[in-house]
This record gives sequence, C-alpha cells and structure tokens, in this order.
Amino acid sequence: MSRLVSEALLLRAVDFGESDRIVHLLTPETGRLTAIAKGARRSVKRFPGTLDLFNHLRVSVSRRRGGRAMAFLERAVLISPFLELRAVPTRYALASYLLELMDRMAPEGGAGPDTQRLFSFALSSLSALEGMAPDLRIRLLFELRALDALGLRPELRHCVRCGAEPGVRAGFYVADGGVVCSSCTVRLEGVLPVHLGTLRVLQQALDYDVDRLERLVPGAQAVVEARNLLFRFQRFHVGLELRSERFLDESLGEPVA
Amino acid sequence: MHSSPAMERLAASLKRLPGIGEKSAARLAYFLLSAPDSLLTELADAVGRLKSDTVICGRCFNLSDRSPCRVCADPRRDAGLICVVEEPADLAAVEKSGCFRGLYHVLGGTLSPIDGMGPESLRIDELAKRIAAGGVGEVILATNPNAEGDATAHFIADRLAKSGVRLSRIACGMPLGGDLEYADHVTVGRSLENRREIS
Repeated sequence: MSRLVSEALLLRAVDFGESDRIVHLLTPETGRLTAIAKGARRSVKRFPGTLDLFNHLRVSVSRRRGGRAMAFLERAVLISPFLELRAVPTRYALASYLLELMDRMAPEGGAGPDTQRLFSFALSSLSALEGMAPDLRIRLLFELRALDALGLRPELRHCVRCGAEPGVRAGFYVADGGVVCSSCTVRLEGVLPVHLGTLRVLQQALDYDVDRLERLVPGAQAVVEARNLLFRFQRFHVGLELRSERFLDESLGEPVA
Repeated sequence: MHSSPAMERLAASLKRLPGIGEKSAARLAYFLLSAPDSLLTELADAVGRLKSDTVICGRCFNLSDRSPCRVCADPRRDAGLICVVEEPADLAAVEKSGCFRGLYHVLGGTLSPIDGMGPESLRIDELAKRIAAGGVGEVILATNPNAEGDATAHFIADRLAKSGVRLSRIACGMPLGGDLEYADHVTVGRSLENRREIS
C-alpha cells in the first residue's frame, strides 16, 4: 500500500452508492487523481465540510501498489474554501469552467515540475478570482493562462512555420498552435486573422502574474479576435464543448456557442 | 449467475438502479425469491402505480398525489412565506422539523455548471412568477450550504433583488451533537458569526 499526503484542490465530487463520494483531485505531486471517500456522506468526523467544489485541502490518499483499483481518500482537512467564488454568479461560472478544463485536461498520475506549476496556477487563479468581477476580457485572459498551465501554450512571438517575425498580415493557425507570418499565411487555409496588438496583449497575459491579469485592458477589437482565436484553439485541443461553457457564456452575456 | 431466466431478468433490472451492483442485485433477487407472496404482490403493485399515482404540484413542484399538493392547498399555511429547497427530500426534511408553516418551492437541483446544470434546468422562472403574482413577503433560500447550494442562493437573490420581497438564507454552523474539535474552521467561524444570545 502506498500513501500520499499532499495538498489538493477538489475539482469535482460525485455521490456514489448510499454513502460514498468519488472525488477528482488536483495535486502538485500527481496531477489529477481520482479517489473514493468511503462513507463521506455519513461521517461528520472524517471529512467535515471538506469535499466541496473549489476546496483547497490537505489530503491523505492510499493506493494498493501496482493495483489498478481506485485510490482511497482516507482523510481531508480544509485549508481554504474560496467562499467568495460562490457569492457572484460570473465568478462561480468562470471558476467552474477553469476547474472543468483542468478536470478534463490535466495529466493523471504524472509527476514533475509541470504538475507543480499547474497546481500553483489553479490555486492562484481561484484566489485572484475571489476579488474580481469577471467579464469576457477576464475570462479570455484566465482561459489563456489555464491552457498554458495545462501545457497548451500558443506560440505568439514567432511564426510556427518558419520562425520569422509575424508581420502586419500575420494570422493564427490553430492546427499548428501559433502565429504564422505574412508569407506563410498566404500558403495556408483556415488561418484566423489577428492583429499584432492582439498578439501583444495575449503575450503580456502569458507573462503577467495571475493576480495582475485584471490590469490588462485590451481594446474591443483585440477582445473579439482573442475570443475567436481562443475558442478555436481550446476546441481543437479539448475536442468538445465543456459542460460549464454554456452557463459561463450566459453569465457573461455572450452568445452561447 | 447460474439460476433461472426469471431470476436473471430480475437481477438485471435491479442492477440498473443507482447504487446497486451485480452482487447486491443477485442478493436482492434471492431475497425476493424466498420472501412471502404478499410482499412480492405489495412491491409489484407499488412499483406499478408509482408513476400513475404521483404528480408534481403545479405550484411548488413537490411530489404529491394531487395538484395543488396538500401543503399548497392548506389554508392554515402562511402563503406570504416561501421556503426554496433543492429537492422534494429537502422539503420533507424541513416539514419534519415542524418549525415551518409557510409554503415551499422545489427548484429541482442546483446550479452546477460542471454537471451541465444551468438556471434553465431549475424552476427559477417559476419562482419569479409566483412572487410577481403578489402576496409573498419573504423568500427563505434553503439550498444546501455547499458550493452549488450557496451559488444557487446568490443567483436567486440577484434575480429577485428588485422584487421587493425579503430574502433570507438558512443559518449555517455547528450541527446538534457536533464536536468543535472535528469541525472545519469555516463551520466554526460561521457558528460564531451566527451566534445567538442566550437567556
């Protein structure tokens, strides 16, 4: 039996049977981890107020060595519940969307600097969102950072085909995951038009600390281009519409995709 | 399972119920085989009439045998007070407390974007219509005190903010018979915030 004692973020909890819960956790050590919390819905002592969405926890998880069975959540202690995420519908919608993105895309059972970085991003983004009133701009900036933390960083500085500077007639080529220069654009189909100003703002969003993202104020045209670009980029990599997307679009007053 | 086709058919049906696995289904099938005929008849009758004898109340959306349900039709209930709950089981829990004499509104779930549950999946429009019809003085938001329940309560509060009715949220804190030592710090904090004077 191996045991993991770690910090964790609760991505999702599903009732199972009469008294159990299956939890999807994000940990800095393992990435995404699925575990069963036996008797969680009955016990008031083992998991008091802990197995709730957005909760930052300290958990103890055990797993049979080499076994393929689900891990057991033995204990969970609440560190922070990020209560302010529940108080504003747009915050709740965006935080739910980011968690679902991580739940679907985070590596499972992987270890290393990438999982540490993803976990740090997840915590810092929930913490930052607690003090924000999200709009489309905030959504796009956080979505870009989430994709980056998941290892899906779009190349925005140099042409993904030839390495040249983008130039004024640059575009974004979703299939290659980045910007294409004026020369390469003409040889490709399905390139999304994008202005250099938009690329600059998105690059800044990748460089800023998460809690400073709110200070970035792209113009209306950049927001429209970034929306189109990120929508296609996300859909290309995730492969389907996330369940939380509709509520997020409605909350932000966006036309539902 | 090495048994009769009838047993296998029953076990296969039972296995489709939530929380019932293959072993539990087989165990229940064996139990029913050895149970008295009267129990089987009673069970078959109850299952057979479940849908035809159950209606959803057109006012509060509780499960009942009539519409309006007994609570909505009771003239002794305070029609100016509406308690909003997630599911019929929550309504039953509040009724069991014996402390509430108003009417109810069953939402049919909570806002849970990750599960694809948005406001259109809940009976929030119907609640707004009941309030717009007049006569309601207070709405008690009694969704569960978890992330989804709290977010739903805030969403409804936003939606009804201009309605002019008093909006309240059920209290949150230590459970009766609870133990401070085992409670999480948020629950303890809320218990202190929501403390009451003792006389």
